[in-house]
Amino acid sequence: MIAPAPISTAPAASEADWRDFYALTKPRVITLVIFTGLCGLLAAPGTIDPVLGFTAILCIAVGAGGAAALNQWWEADLDAQMKRTRQRPVPAGRMDKRAARDFGIALSGGSVLVMGLAIGWLAATILAISIFYYAWVYTVWLKPRTPQNIVIGGGAGAFPPMIGWIAVTGHITLMPVLLFLIIFAWTPPHFWALALFVQTDYDAVGIPMMPNVAGERSTRYQILVYSVALLVLTLVPWWLGLAGRVYGVAALVLGLAFVALSVKVGLRQTAEAGDTMRPEKQLFRYSIVYLFALFAMLVVDHVATLSGA
Amino acid sequence: MSQPLTPSELAAYRLRQRSRSRALALVLVALVVLFFAITIVKLKQAAASHHAQALAAPQQPTVRAGL
Repeated sequence: MIAPAPISTAPAASEADWRDFYALTKPRVITLVIFTGLCGLLAAPGTIDPVLGFTAILCIAVGAGGAAALNQWWEADLDAQMKRTRQRPVPAGRMDKRAARDFGIALSGGSVLVMGLAIGWLAATILAISIFYYAWVYTVWLKPRTPQNIVIGGGAGAFPPMIGWIAVTGHITLMPVLLFLIIFAWTPPHFWALALFVQTDYDAVGIPMMPNVAGERSTRYQILVYSVALLVLTLVPWWLGLAGRVYGVAALVLGLAFVALSVKVGLRQTAEAGDTMRPEKQLFRYSIVYLFALFAMLVVDHVATLSGA
Repeated sequence: MSQPLTPSELAAYRLRQRSRSRALALVLVALVVLFFAITIVKLKQAAASHHAQALAAPQQPTVRAGL
């Protein structure tokens, strides 16, 4: 009879709890990914079987979770040095790096495969591109090299509504591209508002975020520029007749509020010691509500158009 | 060389291992259910598409043998 191998201290790191694996997928970010993907799917012309629709959203969520796990595997050493991230499973020592990497690869590969077999290979290809974009283009390539990391890397988070739309229609048209561009333009003001009040963390690990490379003044100005661009961009679907009045009015009202908060941040003097950064925190919180509301109104508008309102 | 785990560490390790195994079992069962549902939907869609094609095809004149 073979005796079981004695258990030493080593497995403590490799035997992470399931909650650690769950945390590795960045569940809070995935909420937004699921929501925008679902809105893309619901606003698309045409119908999809509920089981297939659920599968498409599940694949988008699992793919995003896989990319997040790969991101945390790659950035474990950086995360260990930042207050905001040092309690993540890998830097905290609750999970070893290889487990995080393998988990990320399994989720990414599995989600693309199921998406291809159940929904279609165009949606699967875009999903694969989005995972690659986040895990490699953003995490490995852009983030440590350029303060434009968030601008270009924002593309990674902009794919879900496009994938949801393609899952229904089976092809790419102007509207899913516009949805992509809306999230693309939303990401810089959203993330730079955060970067302004957690600036010291990024500074400490040498990540070239806009505030610590171009300076706070320039970042504030750019937040304002992107917010105005976002407002204009969100009105394009209405202007081109790709979305109705309900969406158009909502985009205008929500966008004006976004610009108003951005003006407060954009025209503000550089923060001094002891500054609570209230306008920046307000803008960051509102930007999340804004995206949820804008995409929700896109679906409401679609339903209203279908019911002839 | 690594030290053997103390009884309390071993208990915590076993607990984590058990909770992970249960979560994995749940995921596997959910995947079986999902793949079954996808298969049923795909079969239904294929049958409906086949039926629609049959209805759309032009009617061929039938020739009776022996007439």
